[in-house]
Amino acid sequence: MSDFLKSLNVAASGLDAQAARMRVIAENLANADSTGKTPGADPYRRRVPTFESFFNSGTDAQEVRMGKLMYDLSDFEQRYEPGHPAADANGYVKYPNVNPLIEAMDMRSAQRTYEANLNVITSTRQMVGQTLDILRG
Amino acid sequence: MAVPFSAASAAYGQAQKLISGTTGLSNPAEKPTAGGPDFAALVNESLNSVVEAGKTSDKAGLEMISGKGSVVDMVTAVSETELAMQSLVTVRDKVISAYEEIMRMPI
Repeated sequence: MSDFLKSLNVAASGLDAQAARMRVIAENLANADSTGKTPGADPYRRRVPTFESFFNSGTDAQEVRMGKLMYDLSDFEQRYEPGHPAADANGYVKYPNVNPLIEAMDMRSAQRTYEANLNVITSTRQMVGQTLDILRG
Repeated sequence: MAVPFSAASAAYGQAQKLISGTTGLSNPAEKPTAGGPDFAALVNESLNSVVEAGKTSDKAGLEMISGKGSVVDMVTAVSETELAMQSLVTVRDKVISAYEEIMRMPI
């Protein structure tokens, strides 16, 4: 397999990884208000994607993939809502530790990395095409 | 310009390796013999590998449509086929133009 094809495959693995990251961000944002059901129950806990580098022996190149999904162990947000079914004895409800601003920045970062990988694919294709153009002249 | 004739057969060999390599198919280790690989064999094998790559990308496309495959896999497979196809077409055009040039040679 030529180096150009390897580049395509590595960039594609980057696209896959960022797509998976995007999914996790979507999960976090969608569950930003998912509280528990019973009094004092824990709400949705924010998930943090990790990436790991691995050697793909099929393509003979160092690729990236999504590693384990970790939990964000920071404290939950407490809101005073005595009428809520998940309110504890003092009337406080635990809300997820999801900060929409952080998720928005993560999303932008995922988008930019995705674009960078797309550019790698475009450039690689251009390089192959231009090299073949030598023969066409 | 003193280009040895064996350069042409070496070019065949290179093109064959390039195209079958582009599709990821392993070429049965073919040592260029004294005469080198001939054009018919080159086109035949290259076509086969391009068709093979085309099948892969077709499969990816169908999976994509039925909602199973991923866009990235599909685009990668189609790109590989396209690159293999481009290489094949370019080499074919070049070889045919060389052939025509030889045929036009005044004897």
